[in-house]
Amino acid sequence: MASVELQNIEKHYAGYHALRDINLTIEDGEFAVMVGPSGCGKSTLLKTIAGLESISSGRLLIKNRDVTAEEPGDRGIAMVFQSYALYPHMTVAENMGFGLRMAKRPKAEIETAVTRAAAILRLEEQLDKRPRQLSGGQRQRVAIGRAITRSPDVFLFDEPLSNLDAALRTQMRVELSTLHARLGATMIYVTHDQVEAMTMASRIVVLNKGQIEQVGAPLVLYNNPVNRFVAGFLGAPRMNFVEGIVRTADGRGAVIECAGGMSVAFSDLASPVHAGDHVTVGIRPEKLRIDNIRSGTTFPAEVRLIEHLGRETIVYADAGSLSTSNSDSGTGAFTIQIGDIVPFRPGAPLVLGFDVHDAYLFSTDGRTVSAPKTVTGL
Amino acid sequence: MSRLWRRHSNWLAPTLFILPGIVLFGVVIIFASLQTIWVSFHEWDGVGAMVWVGLDNYRQLIDDPQFFVSLKNNVIWLVMFMAAPPLGLALALMLNQPIAGMRIVKSLFFIPLVLASVTVGVVFTWVYDPSFGLLALIFTAFGATASALLSDENFVTVAVVIAALWPQIAFCLVLFLAGLNNLNEELIGAGRVDGARGFAMLWNVILPQLREVSFIALAVTVIGALRSFDMVAVMTSGGPFGSSTVLAYQMYEQSIFSYRFGYGAAIATVLFVIMAGFIVWYLHTLLKVEEGNA
Repeated sequence: MASVELQNIEKHYAGYHALRDINLTIEDGEFAVMVGPSGCGKSTLLKTIAGLESISSGRLLIKNRDVTAEEPGDRGIAMVFQSYALYPHMTVAENMGFGLRMAKRPKAEIETAVTRAAAILRLEEQLDKRPRQLSGGQRQRVAIGRAITRSPDVFLFDEPLSNLDAALRTQMRVELSTLHARLGATMIYVTHDQVEAMTMASRIVVLNKGQIEQVGAPLVLYNNPVNRFVAGFLGAPRMNFVEGIVRTADGRGAVIECAGGMSVAFSDLASPVHAGDHVTVGIRPEKLRIDNIRSGTTFPAEVRLIEHLGRETIVYADAGSLSTSNSDSGTGAFTIQIGDIVPFRPGAPLVLGFDVHDAYLFSTDGRTVSAPKTVTGL
Repeated sequence: MSRLWRRHSNWLAPTLFILPGIVLFGVVIIFASLQTIWVSFHEWDGVGAMVWVGLDNYRQLIDDPQFFVSLKNNVIWLVMFMAAPPLGLALALMLNQPIAGMRIVKSLFFIPLVLASVTVGVVFTWVYDPSFGLLALIFTAFGATASALLSDENFVTVAVVIAALWPQIAFCLVLFLAGLNNLNEELIGAGRVDGARGFAMLWNVILPQLREVSFIALAVTVIGALRSFDMVAVMTSGGPFGSSTVLAYQMYEQSIFSYRFGYGAAIATVLFVIMAGFIVWYLHTLLKVEEGNA
């Protein structure tokens, strides 16, 4: 069982607390994706698992073996780097076989492993080339091939797709997921791209400021974020956040009053709020509806900008003094995602609305206090 | 004017900028070299008229045992100087450790670079002095007697080269230290993950990244060995009995002290041909290396 266990891991750089009390168990065969904004410590965490960075305190177990003090080469891991880090003076075959060569395996075994990995990654034609003769996508595959030949217990990926163009990224995403299914190995993948996280992960680990915010299956995190940070980080376009004040609160119910006179009544809060609290109401762009709204909270708005994506339309709309914070457009406009083509023009008036059961409520300290949503499709 | 300038500025500006350099190079290097070759076909005392003697100077060279001593010494310089790049690399690897106070240690290693080579020569002359030199002190401490290295025709060149190696190693050290600062961290990480450590790491991951630096260090060292002059002039003046001369020093001695400018120029021409051969090889390889990294 190639599980990875992180126990109370702390990391201090000179005067900087990079990782704070990380506790996490990644099960055998899992595809865990660590995601978070720049500087959240996700790459540092991956490097500590690899052994490229030491940890200040805590324990790291791979396959139930304490590897905290072991060299990277002894941990049974392989790593794919952001820059691919291929040895430029070696051929593709030499690059892929280097780990086994260092382990002093017989030549025939190295050759077999390289051939097998090359076949998986369709690199047979490239084996005698040097990295500089390859395209970005091919280099990426060589880097993955180098990891495969070592047949590690755990694969580590450090933002491996960030240097590829969008089309290739989508393709490699599918290839990596396929590879994971085929090898069944434990994979830990670091990215700042929440689409990669949502599409590839069996479990997502959201990191922020060196701490784990939430761990869970993609749809669980998407539907039931534990706090405002996770809610805002996962999902594109981002969730709309509206600041408000608790007008009345009784037990599990509360009425929130937002700017512009809009009030939202929550009835089954998971934890209580108090009158006068500054809170945040969150609503995902795809849960906002336009016009012909029979129930729920409604408010008037005006179209600012429309993005036609073909299959769907993104509408940015201003609602007077009722403005969003931390929205995608950065203007205070609401973001609405419609799975349809809408005929609006900028400046057109419209009525926006949402069902309170689709909305989230975040307390003053950012915790989610609205009732958990039922996650379907799992 | 301004329209003319705008139309042609793409080649005019670079040409203007490069012109002073070209003129200087033309006068100081190209013209001087050609003139030296011209002089080498003459007999000339540096003051009077030049007398055309054709290849006479070169014929004399072939019969001149002193010329072959110089040539042999240049070979000794070249061979011994080859130790500078690897030693510089070894020191650089040693000094590249992230240890407190390493900066001070590093600057101590840079000292010979700051010293004029004349100073280095004088210092080593003292070190080798059989009556009060450091070497004599060490020998005496072990109850032996130091031989006067600089007066011994069998050891004198080796002794001079060792003195010259000191700043040369420091120079290579600086080059390699700079190279080590530019190593690709992720590549080293990949090497560590692949289980490379110690010598395997150095050989397979570090050294390939230092290829260009090594190449420069090698070139500078070869050229340094071939044009060696100042240390010989300061420490031995070519002695004893001309046993430590090198081509550059013999050229100087013949021209300045013996007023044989034609003969000196012939020696210079030979040295020039040797250097040119090396430089052609160097540029050829450099182009290949650069192509390889493109």
